[in-house]
Amino acid sequence: MKSNIYTVLLWLFAGLAVCSSCNKKLSEYNPSGLTSATVYTTAKGFETLVNAAYTYDRFWYGKEEGYQVSEMGTDIWTSGTGDVYPQLTQYNNLQGANTSALTLLWNNFYAAINLCNTGINSISKVVDYTDQQKAIREGELRFLRAFYYWHIVETWGGVHFTTETSEGAVTTANKTSVDTIYNQIFTDLNFAVKNLPATTTDYGRATSTVAKAFLARMYLTRGRNAEAAAMANAVIATNGLKLLPKYGDLWNMGNLKNSEVVWAIDYSTNLANNDLTTTAYPYGHSRGSNNGHLLYLMVYDQVNTTLLTRDIPNGRPFNRYMPTLALLNLFDPSMDSRYAASFQDVWYCNLPKDTVKKVAGNTFNKSDVSSFKAGDTVCYCPKVSLPTSVTNAKHYTTYDISRVYDNTGIPSQRKFYVSLKKFKDSTRTSVAEAQSARDVFVIRLAEMYLIAAEAQMNLGRLDSAAYFINQIRTRAAIPGHEADMQITPAQVTLDFILDERARELCGEQLRWFDLKRTGKLLDRVKRLNPDAAQYIQPFHVVRPIPQTQIDAVTNKNEFTQNDGYQ
Amino acid sequence: MLSKALLVMKITTFFLLVGVLQVSAKGFAQDKLNLKYKNAEIGGILSGIEKQTHYRFLYNDQLRGIKQKVTIDVENADIRQALDYLFAQTLLTYRFMANNLIVINEDANRQPFEKKVTGKVSDPNGAPLSGVTVTVKGSAKATTTNEQGVFTISVENDDVLVFSYVGFESQEVKVGDKTQFSVSMVSAASSLENIVVIGYGTVKKRDLTGAVVSLKGDEVKKVPAGNVMESVQGKVAGVDITRTSGGAGSNVSITVRGNRSILAQNNPLFIVDGIQYSNFQDINPNDIQSMEVLKDASSTAIYGSRGANGVIIITTKRGASGKVRVGVNSYYGVTDIAGYPKPMNGQQYADLKRQSYRTIGKWNSTADDAQVFTSAADLAAVQNGTSTYWPGLLLHKGSQQDYGVNVAGGNEKTKVYFSFDYYKEKGLLNNDYSGRYTLRLNIDQTIAGTFKVGLQSQLTYYDENRRADNILTVANKVIPFFTPYNADGTLAKYPGNGNQSNPLLEEVGGSYINKTNTTRILSSAYAEWKPISNLTLRSNLGITNSSSRNGFFEGENTIDRALSTGSLAKVTNATQADLLWENIVTYNQKFGDHSLDVTAVTSYISNRVDSSYASGTGQLLPGQSFYALLNNPANLAIWSNYVGSNLLSGAFRVNYGYKGRYLLTLTGRADGASQLSKQNRWSFFPSAAVAWRVIDENFMASQNLLSDLKLRASYGIAGNAAVKAYSTQSGLILIPFSWNDQTALAYGLDPQTGNPNLNWELTATQNIGLDFGFLKNRITASVDYYDSRTRDLLLPRLLPATSGYQKVVQNIGKTRNNGIEVSLRTTNVQTKDLTWSSTVTYTRNKERIVDLVNGQSDIANSWIIGYPVKSFYDYQKTGIWQTEDSALARQYGYKPGDIRVKDVNDDKKITATDDRVVVGSAVPKYSFGFSNDVTYKNFDLNIYVYGRIGQTFVSDYANKFEPNAIENGAVVNYWTPENPTNDYPRPNANISRASMPFATTLGYKDGSFVKIRNITLGYTLPKTLTQRFHVATLRWYVSAKNYFTFSKVKDYDPEGGGSFDRPLTKLIVTGLNLDF
Repeated sequence: MKSNIYTVLLWLFAGLAVCSSCNKKLSEYNPSGLTSATVYTTAKGFETLVNAAYTYDRFWYGKEEGYQVSEMGTDIWTSGTGDVYPQLTQYNNLQGANTSALTLLWNNFYAAINLCNTGINSISKVVDYTDQQKAIREGELRFLRAFYYWHIVETWGGVHFTTETSEGAVTTANKTSVDTIYNQIFTDLNFAVKNLPATTTDYGRATSTVAKAFLARMYLTRGRNAEAAAMANAVIATNGLKLLPKYGDLWNMGNLKNSEVVWAIDYSTNLANNDLTTTAYPYGHSRGSNNGHLLYLMVYDQVNTTLLTRDIPNGRPFNRYMPTLALLNLFDPSMDSRYAASFQDVWYCNLPKDTVKKVAGNTFNKSDVSSFKAGDTVCYCPKVSLPTSVTNAKHYTTYDISRVYDNTGIPSQRKFYVSLKKFKDSTRTSVAEAQSARDVFVIRLAEMYLIAAEAQMNLGRLDSAAYFINQIRTRAAIPGHEADMQITPAQVTLDFILDERARELCGEQLRWFDLKRTGKLLDRVKRLNPDAAQYIQPFHVVRPIPQTQIDAVTNKNEFTQNDGYQ
Repeated sequence: MLSKALLVMKITTFFLLVGVLQVSAKGFAQDKLNLKYKNAEIGGILSGIEKQTHYRFLYNDQLRGIKQKVTIDVENADIRQALDYLFAQTLLTYRFMANNLIVINEDANRQPFEKKVTGKVSDPNGAPLSGVTVTVKGSAKATTTNEQGVFTISVENDDVLVFSYVGFESQEVKVGDKTQFSVSMVSAASSLENIVVIGYGTVKKRDLTGAVVSLKGDEVKKVPAGNVMESVQGKVAGVDITRTSGGAGSNVSITVRGNRSILAQNNPLFIVDGIQYSNFQDINPNDIQSMEVLKDASSTAIYGSRGANGVIIITTKRGASGKVRVGVNSYYGVTDIAGYPKPMNGQQYADLKRQSYRTIGKWNSTADDAQVFTSAADLAAVQNGTSTYWPGLLLHKGSQQDYGVNVAGGNEKTKVYFSFDYYKEKGLLNNDYSGRYTLRLNIDQTIAGTFKVGLQSQLTYYDENRRADNILTVANKVIPFFTPYNADGTLAKYPGNGNQSNPLLEEVGGSYINKTNTTRILSSAYAEWKPISNLTLRSNLGITNSSSRNGFFEGENTIDRALSTGSLAKVTNATQADLLWENIVTYNQKFGDHSLDVTAVTSYISNRVDSSYASGTGQLLPGQSFYALLNNPANLAIWSNYVGSNLLSGAFRVNYGYKGRYLLTLTGRADGASQLSKQNRWSFFPSAAVAWRVIDENFMASQNLLSDLKLRASYGIAGNAAVKAYSTQSGLILIPFSWNDQTALAYGLDPQTGNPNLNWELTATQNIGLDFGFLKNRITASVDYYDSRTRDLLLPRLLPATSGYQKVVQNIGKTRNNGIEVSLRTTNVQTKDLTWSSTVTYTRNKERIVDLVNGQSDIANSWIIGYPVKSFYDYQKTGIWQTEDSALARQYGYKPGDIRVKDVNDDKKITATDDRVVVGSAVPKYSFGFSNDVTYKNFDLNIYVYGRIGQTFVSDYANKFEPNAIENGAVVNYWTPENPTNDYPRPNANISRASMPFATTLGYKDGSFVKIRNITLGYTLPKTLTQRFHVATLRWYVSAKNYFTFSKVKDYDPEGGGSFDRPLTKLIVTGLNLDF
């Protein structure tokens, strides 16, 4: 009996021993995780924060969501058959609840803002930075914060604004005036201009020139024309920046890092460095890298499946967007090289070499059977109207203007049309590859000339304005037509500048901002984009706030949906 | 501490005394004697007589007979009668002397009465049992029964015979004056029916205070399935089990009494032989001795934090002393699709496309077909009537097969059970298979009389290959005009135009591989010591170890690689090690009318998972599959991760009974969980339960109607800490990035921020239950009402993105589940040849969210206060706008042919804020099971019906309506000016499904179903026949599973939850059960 008692005691003691080591056993061991406290407090770690602050713009630039809110819903593009966000293209039934594109952008831009705020507010605690390093990194973060806030304030208007670091679960949001947000943008950009170096060895990192160029855009946006002109001039005068001799060379995959690029998103040729969602990076983008090459292409592979199949040079056609008739009409291809450099209007037979096929090549005239070999024209989309007698006489299929648009300008079909080719990428490794390493030009020098021109015009100096526009048009001229391209000061109007911007910058994710800045969004959409004309309303100059945000805030009476939206 | 031990000692001594003092003698009459002794030495009885009378005895206390123990119960006997009776079984004689002196001697001529007895042992059906061990209790004498079940053994009248045989309950029979015995053995299972396994112990069913359902091994394996829990679907009231995927090896989902938690898992805790083991699918159904489902807080409280969602205890079979028993089980079955609706054929698709162009004014008659079918191939297909049924090219018949052997045996000291099982399931898609090998070894070894050790171990190995989930979804949308093959017979890469992948490309050998090999070991050892008969000390050490390797290869032509370049190869390795150490002390004692049962437990559980993967793309030779990652030139990626958590607990339980009628259980458990915040880590979970066995009351004795009646009530609190480890920490995420094409580290803030105040989610449950039986328990039933209220929900709260974060886990909100469970067992017919018994279970649970952040519904997550967690919040489709209502439609901004939804607040606008309602929920209103077992002579028949009523599901099929005919879709009745239906809207070439207003309202369907889950017909060969082949039993059966489903949905088994991906299967199977 006695020995039994001792054993019981032993057991109880063993139990006690277990319990005394309890709380030690209950502390978590997390060797795979990192926290801001351990990483952002050293110079080496803080660099990773600054790097990360650059990554959020990849959700906008080169992505369908970004194109959808910056190019669609304007005067120059309308829906192809594949458009997945027609609400944004046409302003039809546009609500906070039905556009995941807006939600993605909203979520990621505010995540970027919070990261910038975190960095700006805590950089002083990094002990192993020199003061100069601190100033540069803070300058970059301030530049990026301004850059992200600009997208937010232009897209959604006077919405949430903060420069504080989020601590814990913040469940309220504020509505701050557009002016207040812009004040911060200017404060941050001025800091950046002052503290950033003129050059960098890291391509894509913000420099003082980048900050100035963006500041020029901001001054123009806010009607500070003299400052805009001065700042644009300063960028134009920057050493090492100059327009490429040929507009078409801008889009050459082998020449992306050229003297005309002020700031670009440098998508890596190692696609693993980009933003595609993976197990390791679950918060990425579902397509990743640059997707611009997919969106504007017509389905050339459905014209005549026996003669023309999908291949890498012609691209993978997502058939999302097609030009409005108005956009095509802006160009005079006889003297302006930008039409041919921007658009593809002819597709050639891509049968294997030495193969010859005898088939009906003209969809509209099947009785015409002729021989085709690689390189023969299969489809032609002239931007003019041709008589049926002419088109039917061809061996190939013609989609002339009359077969694409009806007489009101509404597309009569949305599959075959002149396609924007600026972003095509034949260096992709397979025909299906959605990721392109093409850099996205966020700011290029030509825009500075156009900013200067617009600012000068606003200041009443039409001759100056004409000078800057002619610089651009001279470069754009087909050799020998330089004189034909020149305009006179009397020709400079706001609409002309917007037309010129469309010719120069179409597809480059600026159009919606340009129309909004100039107050021309409604006017031009109503006049030039018949698909959207029937739906656009004055309140569409800001976008609906994502419903998820509206649902999540606890101060629902203060943080309300933008006017006009449900 | 020491004083406590002394107290234990004192109490023990006291109890021992009580035990000894049970014997007492009363009465003091001169002539008449009252003797009442139990197993007492004759010597002692004689002294008792001396006390009652004036007689004195004289004897030599070395006489053998004096020490002999006898039981005697005589009243008013005179001394001679008493002594005759007392000495009858001895050699003792007595002689009366003067002075009331009685001399006792031994009669040397009389011999102990030893005789030969014979007998016959049979099983419950009356068939002779051979090999039954017959021993004389307390001696080495033993024999076994022969082929005819007959034995012979020499015994004395006061001997006791013990009959033992594996699988049957040991039986003791007193010899007495009998020479012929006929013994019918009772199978261990049926005697176990009265024993219920509860947490850290067992209890007699009559003494149960909580809501516990017990299923025995036979019941568990009645429906042939690789997965144990699939077999018991519908058999336990309150447990909702669904299998939503027909893929090979796919698992079931289980909830006990509804969903309480929103973030935390609602899976019940699985305890296998005392060890937590969530991979219940590993268990070979033939190894299961019993399965208990613990539902109310009182029963689960001993498991504390882990028990909030119910506990399912699985006990595996063990060896038994006696003859070795061998069982062999096997079956083979063919699976087929259980309903799968077809997409449109070429003609139907062409019509839809024409109508969509007609809507935009581009088509009026077939003369305009060229405008619609712009590609030459399409137009040709329309004209030739080409039509391919794509899913049909992928779907085949599958199979299920199982082969198992188990052996049980042992002797008094060592008992062994081991088994092997191989289960293989082939899915409906090529190369979709799951093979499972299970080995089990259970050993119990008695080392010394009071000390026992043992081991339960199970090794499971899986060899599986899963097809991609989306393959059928793709097949359903490929345009039927296209054919999978080129003219030269090769597979077309992009059939028709370049838009669509050819799903058959994934059928090409080696082009899609998703192979997982998993080995899991569940092993636990115990040591048990009973220093005294009513005290048990036990220590369990459990180790579960899992290692898995997933090899993944997608060739360049597979669907998932359509957006990328080249193949993707990936290898993922994961190892998991769980360690559990528990010490259990149980002590029980009866004193007078009181009984006490105390259990105390300490427990330490640690879980560790580390995993890693490596992947790359663009492999040169597809044949190298995932075995040569270095040959992938692009996107090489590596990753590794560690997750660990610990749980420490101390628990106790006290069961107290008074007169066996009034029962009380008090339970408490303290848990400390590492994944919660430091200050909230520890919590105490108390519970109490009472039961009243009304049937045992005196006033019930006079009635015959009721044979059982018990009332139960319990209340308790359970916790849940099932959040991911490290949820209290705010982490960083690595974002892929580079400068100048050189990889650079970029750490951003994790969109899910940590909550440093995480606390326990608590569920308080009250339960009232009634158990009753009629007509000698021919009818038995249990009815339970429960109400469980969960508070401080671990809620993944969506944060406004403006905060920089998107999610945080907080303790916010409440849910409530209450409901009624009924289970009824009846024996309808019981004759010699025919028996028919039925089981009915019925569950009605009302689940709803009671409170969320700020008392507001969470629209973004479809969590609506007052409705179940899995609810569908959407517009309410009332039909299609008709031409005659066009004016009203215009007012709303719609036109005839558009979907019409209800304007809930009647403000003449359809808005997301005001006009969405809960249109259904995925949880059923009620469910039931109805099982019938009929045996007639050697035939047995089981028919099992299962119903799940009142749930809604989202049908992928019904949703698959593409207004612009961009892809193939469902065959539906859509609106045209000539066909003013209210089913589907008007096709329109200018809008996509995504942009079609209220498109999601098309998919909601009533998912109620009743299915005949199982029909099994079995035939057992007559013993007389099988015994010639030394086979104890041989049963052959045919079973049809899932063959008949009744629902409102055509061509689809609604249990599948609406998915296109993995249609459910039906199975016809035939099998053999053999016992040696």
